Amino acid sequence: MGTFLQIMSYGIINGALYGLVALGLSLVFGVMNYLNVAHGALIMLASYMVFWVCYYLKFDPFVAMILVAPTFFVIGWVLFQGLFQRLLRLPETEKIKNSLLISFGILLIFSNGATMLWTADERAVNTSYTGKVLELLGVRIPYIGLASIVLAFIVIVAIHLFLTRTYFGKAIRAVSQDQEAAEWMGVNTNRVCLVSFAIGVALAAFPGVVIALQTFNPIVSFDLTNKALIVLVLAGVGSLKGVLFGGLLLGAVEAASVFAVGTAYREVVGLVLFVLVLMFRPQGLGGRKR
Amino acid sequence: MKRMLGIVGLLLLLILIPFVLRNEYLLNLMILICLYSTLAHSWNVLGGYCGQISLGHATFFGVGALVFRYLWLSGVSYYLALPAGALSALILASIIGFPSFKMKGHYFSIGTLALAMILLITVQNLLPGVSFITQACLDQYSLFTIYFLALGVGVATVFAVYALSRSKLGIAMVAIRDDEDAAEAIGINTFKYKVVSMSISTLIAGFAGGIFAFYCGTYYYYVPFELGWSFDPLLIAFIGGAGTVIGPVIGAVVFVLLKELFATHLGQVNVLIFGIVFIITVLFLPKGIVGMAGLFRKTRETRETK
Repeated sequence: MGTFLQIMSYGIINGALYGLVALGLSLVFGVMNYLNVAHGALIMLASYMVFWVCYYLKFDPFVAMILVAPTFFVIGWVLFQGLFQRLLRLPETEKIKNSLLISFGILLIFSNGATMLWTADERAVNTSYTGKVLELLGVRIPYIGLASIVLAFIVIVAIHLFLTRTYFGKAIRAVSQDQEAAEWMGVNTNRVCLVSFAIGVALAAFPGVVIALQTFNPIVSFDLTNKALIVLVLAGVGSLKGVLFGGLLLGAVEAASVFAVGTAYREVVGLVLFVLVLMFRPQGLGGRKR
Repeated sequence: MKRMLGIVGLLLLLILIPFVLRNEYLLNLMILICLYSTLAHSWNVLGGYCGQISLGHATFFGVGALVFRYLWLSGVSYYLALPAGALSALILASIIGFPSFKMKGHYFSIGTLALAMILLITVQNLLPGVSFITQACLDQYSLFTIYFLALGVGVATVFAVYALSRSKLGIAMVAIRDDEDAAEAIGINTFKYKVVSMSISTLIAGFAGGIFAFYCGTYYYYVPFELGWSFDPLLIAFIGGAGTVIGPVIGAVVFVLLKELFATHLGQVNVLIFGIVFIITVLFLPKGIVGMAGLFRKTRETRETK
């Protein structure tokens, strides 16, 4: 029982991280139907930036977020203006296909570029609280894991409030429901898409911090994109509320599979779940039929 | 007629090269070009003609390689092991691939990516070791044989794709690519044609995998399942010209030469360059290098008529 609780607690910690990882991807896909598979690479880059900021400026990784998130907002802004804006007027299926292909190219460029610049060595940010654990009912919970759960909650709630309580958030929701109708109502869809894409990319900063505290290398971007896609599909496409649920579900399933099939096939269980959901319930577990 | 002569001449040249220039380095490059061209065409049949973007062709490439290696090392001759490997790729496709057409559009892409990762991790766990060539097989190993086998498969693939593009089947596939709903509406059985396209594609990928297993002496069992074998054919086909007969061949030549040019200096620069060129292709040149050549020809013709 003790080990079960222990493993499940790691599952929940990982799950919160998966939710964070998928958040930016889900926002962008929900608003403008861009399947940005480069998201994993952006998180990887954010981890590197956190690493360098902590290394040179001696910041705490969680403080480094205030530098990293705005930088990635700008990166998202530039990527949208340079590449993704051209796809905005395409019909939906073409839009998804082309954005998938372009962001796939970006994924390759970023991950290979990072390998060339910084080698494939594994890195991690070391802090005073790395490796420290909290003992709770015999379950050992690392402080970093706890922090990532709290971070995931704060970020997801903040995004939710932004979308539901602000005027601009209302415009974003309008565009995500029907781009043309929103335009007729006088919403500047170009601008809404630009800002939400930039926010989506900026959201890569938060999982970036958590991953920088664990170990990372350029290859991790493929894994992260993969996890983000799984959560996106589990949550139901474009459902932000479902993202945390989907992440936690994936984390729990992976943890449970450690018991059933061993650590070696932990990843496979998540992927099989993914394929099954894709085939039998493509609108997601909690999603509405589109 | 002129075109026929050109093709026959090129084929003769390709056959004669190894006899005239006894250069192992050149032979290695040409084997790689044949291998990548075959693999890219395999992706092209499904992605370029039928519009189903697969991100997991390594699955079928890897199975072709695995079965070929197993049969070859256990004493089956390579010309039997090669089609056997291709067939097993097709069988695997019918088990896991055809149901994947329940996933439409982008779901198909990420679904095939997931399948490729499942297989990669499984093979990594089940067969962690290195695959060696046994002494008996080493006697059969010669670059000459491999080159002619690779060339044969590559040329046969190009002709098959050419025939396909001229057939009713190919036209139906293009119709599905351009608008699946419209194709369905005018009476094309989209599921059937997608399955046929997938079968041809995986069969070719299996052949390419067999060539790889024949060519590479010693490698980890999981290497042909690596994600690169899914991504490279996509890049090659797109940059050369997806949905054309000659595009993937041109793409493969450029890819292998670039890779060779940079391999000695800077590892993976070729993927970086290809990534950039790929994005430009997707945005501005839907028919890749072939389309670019077509544009030049068109502008020249219009100038001449003026």
